[in-house]
Amino acid sequence: LSAPLLPSAPAALRSLPPPVTVGVLHTARLLHTTQQCSAPLPPLPEKGGEVRLGLIPEEFFQFLYPKTGVTGPYMLGTGLLLYLLSKEIYVINHETVAAACILSVIIYGVKKYGSDVAAFADKLNEEKVAKALEVKNETIKDLETAIEQEKKEQWRVEGRSYLFDAKRNNIAMLLETNYRERLLTVYNEVKKRLDYQVAMQNLKRQKEQDHMIQWVEKNVVQSITPQQQKESISKCILDLKALSKSAQAAV
Amino acid sequence: MNLSFFDQFASPCLLGIPLILISMLFPTLLLFPPNNRWIPNRLSTLQSWLIHLITKQLMTPLNKKGHKWALVLTSLMMLLLMINLLGLLPYTFTPTTQLSMNMALAFPLWLATLLTGLRNQPSASLGHLLPEGTPTPLIPALIMIETTSLLIRPLALGVRLTANLTAGHLLIQLISTATIALLPTLPTVSLLTMSVLLLLTLLEIAVAMIQAYVFVLLLSLYLQENI
Repeated sequence: LSAPLLPSAPAALRSLPPPVTVGVLHTARLLHTTQQCSAPLPPLPEKGGEVRLGLIPEEFFQFLYPKTGVTGPYMLGTGLLLYLLSKEIYVINHETVAAACILSVIIYGVKKYGSDVAAFADKLNEEKVAKALEVKNETIKDLETAIEQEKKEQWRVEGRSYLFDAKRNNIAMLLETNYRERLLTVYNEVKKRLDYQVAMQNLKRQKEQDHMIQWVEKNVVQSITPQQQKESISKCILDLKALSKSAQAAV
Repeated sequence: MNLSFFDQFASPCLLGIPLILISMLFPTLLLFPPNNRWIPNRLSTLQSWLIHLITKQLMTPLNKKGHKWALVLTSLMMLLLMINLLGLLPYTFTPTTQLSMNMALAFPLWLATLLTGLRNQPSASLGHLLPEGTPTPLIPALIMIETTSLLIRPLALGVRLTANLTAGHLLIQLISTATIALLPTLPTVSLLTMSVLLLLTLLEIAVAMIQAYVFVLLLSLYLQENI
């Protein structure tokens, strides 16, 4: 019994002779106030034992019933009391009155507040049990919520393929749009270059035309000699006179 | 059994064997041992509730080091409560009416608080002798007064408990004697006296509980100052 305890004893204790060490160790062990029991205890009875007059257990009355009937114990009590009083085995002195007072106070208190106190004690116990149940119920609820969320996540996983398809479509569309935009850019650039060339050609044409017209006009003007000029002017004057004559004649 | 007024204060003795130790330890028999069950019966529940209440009340103002005193103070409180309340029953001997017992409880505990204070924080302990903000000329006188008040504490603790309980018990006895003496001649006055006795009994119950509480509370206050 004492062998496993010895190694854990402090060094000072071990230096004493063995019986003293063991004796000290045994007395220094923790005092077990209740019996250790791992099995569940039987439940407490619902009500306490039946009691008459608040003091005498019902079993006493049942014990005397066969011999003396119902009134037996009461007769016994009364007789005993009267015997004690008459023979002055119990003397009535000032303590009797004090006893009467304190007992009446106690009985009044018990009768008036007894059920309240019992209800209070029951409430304390109920709260204790309710707290433990609360923990259990809350844990159960939390676990159930966790299960539901897990199921929801599993359902979500099934829709993963749709998600990926949509994403893939999105990306394809983006690529297509980008490609088309770039095509448009290319087209615009090429058109700009070609327009430039066309404009250049038109301009050249225009310039050649203008130049030609100018050259022709210049040559014509140069070819008009002064003699020709005088002739044309006199002709014009003659025409004008003729015209004015015809005009005057008309009027 | 013709009793004089002071028989109840005589230390009980049977055939020359002093029974004082048994009478002091008797109240512990009435306390239920801690039950093995998680939900005990009503009495165990109420008792543990009471002990929890007392411990919480006493330990809330104390710092962590003061919690070492929890067992002493709580068990002292329970002991005094039970002794005082049981002493109200007729023909019982109340150990706390003996000055010897109360001084034996008060003096060592008070001395323990004082020595704890002087050992661990001597300047703070001595600082309690001078309240803050006293004008300088008054300091010597005040120190003497505070020292006297400090040294008279154990005496006050013991005598307070003794005097309260003894006076109460004696009053109960005197008034009940008056009631009995008046009963043959003036029954009405006797009944009036009886009603006085009832009120006095209620007072005594209250006093019993209050005095136990005050004793332990003052000790915890002294501890608070010094720990």
